[in-house]
Amino acid sequence: MMRYALAAVPVAMLTLAIPFANRVEPRVFGLPFLLAWIVLWILLTPAFLGAVSRLDRSR
Amino acid sequence: MNPSVSLGIVGAGIFAVLIFATLASRRTVVDPQEFIVGGRSFGALFLWILLAGEIYTSFTFLGAAGWAYGRGAPAFYILCYGTIAFTLSYFLLPPIWAIAKERGLLTEADFFAERYGSRRLGILVACVGFAFLVPYVTLQLSGLEILLRIAGYSTLNSTTTVGVAFALMTGFVYLNGLRGTAWASVVKDLAVVLAVLFAGIALPIRFFGSPAGVVDRVLAVRPHWLTLANDLSAQGTLWFVSTVLLTALGFYMWPQSFAAIFAARDGNVLRQNAIFLPFYQLMLLLVYFAGFTALLVVPGLKGPAADQSFLLVVQRYYPSWVLGLVAFAGCLAALVPASGQILGAASLFAKNVLGDGFGVATNDAARLRATRLLIVVVAALALAWWLAARTSLVGLLLIGYSGVTQFFPGVVMALARTRPSARAVGAGIVAGIIVVAIAGWRATPTLFGLNVGLFALLVNATVAFATNAIRRSRGSAQLATP
Repeated sequence: MMRYALAAVPVAMLTLAIPFANRVEPRVFGLPFLLAWIVLWILLTPAFLGAVSRLDRSR
Repeated sequence: MNPSVSLGIVGAGIFAVLIFATLASRRTVVDPQEFIVGGRSFGALFLWILLAGEIYTSFTFLGAAGWAYGRGAPAFYILCYGTIAFTLSYFLLPPIWAIAKERGLLTEADFFAERYGSRRLGILVACVGFAFLVPYVTLQLSGLEILLRIAGYSTLNSTTTVGVAFALMTGFVYLNGLRGTAWASVVKDLAVVLAVLFAGIALPIRFFGSPAGVVDRVLAVRPHWLTLANDLSAQGTLWFVSTVLLTALGFYMWPQSFAAIFAARDGNVLRQNAIFLPFYQLMLLLVYFAGFTALLVVPGLKGPAADQSFLLVVQRYYPSWVLGLVAFAGCLAALVPASGQILGAASLFAKNVLGDGFGVATNDAARLRATRLLIVVVAALALAWWLAARTSLVGLLLIGYSGVTQFFPGVVMALARTRPSARAVGAGIVAGIIVVAIAGWRATPTLFGLNVGLFALLVNATVAFATNAIRRSRGSAQLATP
């Protein structure tokens, strides 16, 4: 269960959370907020999947 | 402006890649296992390159920039869906791979036939997959045509050039199969990364000082361009979320991507790929910058013409050799995925329709011959389609995604402990495809702001569930009254 919950976090952030991140300000490194939000969660997805993989290996 | 320089670079480059991949993939034994799924021997890096090669197509290269140019924020969906697909793939692909390995499966249709114990279901899946793959190959031809026309400064007869480029590619798949495609992918990835770095960083710096400078200017000219409409409109937030979900589910359902899973050496290779592929997505960010730059530098392109946007900037403001190199990368981004798609469609038809359906070409040697013959047939069909109806890049792709996504419920349920009947899964797929076909026919991509493919998926699952329930209750009724 923990594995699925971990993996679900970035998925939710890139789908369900999109309407709430849908704005220009604040700008992050020049990017409009919506684009920065998407980029942030793409960068974090490998970290979450890496954590899932660590759980997998310890089982 | 010298078309012979730019076209010369494109031509010599493509030829060199074909030679390189042919030499690299020389093997003594060629059987269907080797030809179609690379002998199930690919390690993490080689598989990563193959997957990236099949996923990042001329659509990524031109279409994403075209959307950034023509529509703005809705283009960001392309950035999101791959990442979600990779997350799903972490859990789904290793069990699929294990089943394929144990039973010696070659195609996606094999997987259905094996898990549901029904050759007929396999044939249905093969036919549907085939039907959606041919237009996908056609899509790559549209991309090629744009690239060659711009690289040639409109001096060439594009029909002839596309025909030649495509004949080369077909011959190449014919000879080398999946391993050749993977080796060509190595060069293609390198070329595309360089071209995208150039287009996404050098272009904005030249015209606006920095990539952030482009964003400032776009926002100054069009304040709403980089956010989504917060309503149920054709490309509002609801459309965005539903399209991201739909395309993420459909991602690995494309028969050529599904078969690429089988090429992995083991399940861990697939897990590692799932973890690291999201980084590759970030290249799209640069493609958007190129599209935004084009929007400000060469404004006014309408509809499908937006797909040409950043190439036109390169054509207008840079020397011929730069244009040649960028177009070369773009051509590879069309030809490499096209070869994977052609191979996918040909192997589906040879194995599942001819072999399982009609009992033709069932031994290894005959199956290899049939697959190769079909490679030529598929390529010819795609070329004919392209000559008959020249379509824009995105519309077709979204219809194709809605179509292949209809396999998703069947694939997931195939991994469950209690599986529905083959008939139920087949009925679901047919129902889903009918919804997709009606929506495509009436050109209604959204319903209540949602991507219509998601409705088709809902209909699909409902029909499958109902058919299964009816059959089960009938079965138990028969048992009760002997």
